[in-house]
Amino acid sequence: MIENILIAGAELWSVGTLLLMALGVVAGLIAGAIPGFTIAMAVVLVLPFTFGMSPVQGLGTMIGVYVGGLSGGLMSGILTGIPGTPSSVATTFDGFPLARGGKAGLALGVGVWASFFGGVIGAIVLVLVAPQLARIGQEFQPWDYFALMAFALTVTASLAGENMVKGLIAGLIGLLVATVGEDSVVGVPRFTFGVDSVQQGFAFLPVLVGLFAFSRLLADVRDSESAKGNLGAKSDASIRINHLVAATEVLKRWGNLVRSSLIGVFTGVLPAAGSSISNILAYDQARKYSKTPEKFGTGHLDGIVAPEAANNATAGGALIVMMALGIPGDIITAVMLGALLIHDVVPSPTFITEQPVIAYAIFIAFFMANFMMLALQSVTLRGFVRVTQVKIYMLASVILFYCALGVFALNNVEFDIWTLFWFGVLGFVMSALGFPIVPVILGVVLGGIAENALAQVIALSDDPTHFVTRPWSLFFIVLGLFSSFFHVYQRQRGRKRWTLVFIPAMCICLSVPVAMMDGIVRPVLAALLVVGGLYLLYQRHREGWVVMTEDQGEAPTIAEGGP
Amino acid sequence: MQRLNRDTIVAIILLALCGVFFYVSFDIRTPEFERLAPGQMDPGLWPRIILSGLVLMALIYLAQSVISPPADQEERGGLNGWYRHYRNPIHCFLAFGAFMLLIPYLGMLLAGMLFVFGMMTMLGGRERWLIGTHATVSVCTVGGMWFIFACLLSVQLPRSSLFPDAEEWLLVNICGISEAIGGLFAAAPRACAVILV
Repeated sequence: MIENILIAGAELWSVGTLLLMALGVVAGLIAGAIPGFTIAMAVVLVLPFTFGMSPVQGLGTMIGVYVGGLSGGLMSGILTGIPGTPSSVATTFDGFPLARGGKAGLALGVGVWASFFGGVIGAIVLVLVAPQLARIGQEFQPWDYFALMAFALTVTASLAGENMVKGLIAGLIGLLVATVGEDSVVGVPRFTFGVDSVQQGFAFLPVLVGLFAFSRLLADVRDSESAKGNLGAKSDASIRINHLVAATEVLKRWGNLVRSSLIGVFTGVLPAAGSSISNILAYDQARKYSKTPEKFGTGHLDGIVAPEAANNATAGGALIVMMALGIPGDIITAVMLGALLIHDVVPSPTFITEQPVIAYAIFIAFFMANFMMLALQSVTLRGFVRVTQVKIYMLASVILFYCALGVFALNNVEFDIWTLFWFGVLGFVMSALGFPIVPVILGVVLGGIAENALAQVIALSDDPTHFVTRPWSLFFIVLGLFSSFFHVYQRQRGRKRWTLVFIPAMCICLSVPVAMMDGIVRPVLAALLVVGGLYLLYQRHREGWVVMTEDQGEAPTIAEGGP
Repeated sequence: MQRLNRDTIVAIILLALCGVFFYVSFDIRTPEFERLAPGQMDPGLWPRIILSGLVLMALIYLAQSVISPPADQEERGGLNGWYRHYRNPIHCFLAFGAFMLLIPYLGMLLAGMLFVFGMMTMLGGRERWLIGTHATVSVCTVGGMWFIFACLLSVQLPRSSLFPDAEEWLLVNICGISEAIGGLFAAAPRACAVILV
């Protein structure tokens, strides 16, 4: 382990890599600060630059963008009241009133230090948990791995928001796109329709950039008036941050800091639940635990610490899932998985044991990126104010050209620009029709891996009962079934009677595969799950299976409209 | 008769596309000389599993759209209204298409400058001072990125077939100058050391 850390450290501690990471952090900070410019888009646009780099350098740069982007959102959120990214929505609730009250420096400082501490806590959990989880991954056989892929894809349903079916359709379209071209087992061309250029399949990057960045940019310029506007910061560029005061204020609130960071890590571990959810959850919990909840929304420092610590810690959680199980925790880690594939590194549950140098480099890079973010945030504050003066249509035009240039640089093939174009059209049309884009991307990333796992399953045995007799496979199938309906459960919780038995039923059903596992700890865990499920059922029974009537409704939550 | 709602039409199109792909999936055949080994997966199996799922979901989507149609969409006034609503994205797609068609003739640099300038002028307005700004921005940004990729990252970008000499001259001179400057920077520490010693 020490040897791997030293090798990974040596690769990261070169001047070139450090410079690239710093550039990544600055790019992320500025991109995160621009309203409407998501972190995922920034990571996608940085991807073409990483082709010429080693996997460690490339991933280090992208982690820099990721961490920078998570922290960048607070700048525009606090200074303009418009969150730069969805991950800093809750920061604006107290950050903006505090800045408007003449304490912009303090608000920014507290946000920056909370982000830093949140990121460091996330990194510590990542280092401690990922290798342990990866050991479990070594127990996986092809049946378990295929079930894991199916589970990851069913989770995409929850990304669809209102309509689960649209999410599943989008995920299946992604899988179908991944089948185009020669199959990996026999090399037979599929769905090429006689076009030679499609023989090798669609390159991942043009598909990703087309679906995500291209379609998004065109949506941004749809309205002529808003396209001619600028990005909106009219703040004073000479704001000064007193770091000592800010760090002290954050550390005084250590309980809130640790709780919010752990909420962030936990949310990151859940596939598809990213920092856009964790910041609101952490804010909500901070308000509930506060002695002065009435001060929230008026410029309370706890209201800045909670969301900022949570959103940076989420990255640690998402990276745990990516490294330990080889499935993306969120859209950004999905892009990183794509980047690994471009560098011929196939993500799998054995990733940490098979690619220890890259794995430890990711751990170290995540730590370092948080320190870099802390150092560079003040510098980029001026850059942010400048960038926000640029007109949206100018930025969109230049980035569209850059997209074309970037995807061409991948293989020096003009067909890739056409791929970008057609997937841009597809992404735009799907968004306009209300289909989510993220499941398509997850489908494209996981399609090939899932097919290979299925091919191994068929090669090993033609007995399909292995899917239900192997504990891990059954575990993921049960989890997948329940997670498919989780969004419906969340919407109807407390309103429909079936929602009262959803969680107890999930606990009891999950206990079956856990009980089938070897050892002592897991059967004990299974027993606890059963006891927990039965206790919840007993509680519901004691409460008389009460559900809210339609007209009772629920008080508006933070997610629906502010504190 | 009640007008079909948007979701119903989309579901029907999806089902039709699934039908086409299903039909084509039966053309996926292993060549005679490469017979499948026992236990080897048929290359058409995985696509058909996906398509089966897609058909099932499309049918549910269709049923959903018929049983509980979505709330009335914003009235956009027929094809004209639809065009007005999506005018900018449609123009951008057309401009991007034209850019791709021009690349073989003008090369990435010139076609890129024209594309960025055209997009900005189309979206931002055609006032004289704006045209000047757009021209400057397109030359600087496209030129800058071309320099990074062509000179610093040594990517072979598409060349112009209409002005091959001009592009060759640019590549040789601009990349040559940048290499010379890079060489100076690389030699500077050694020169300083020699002077100090």
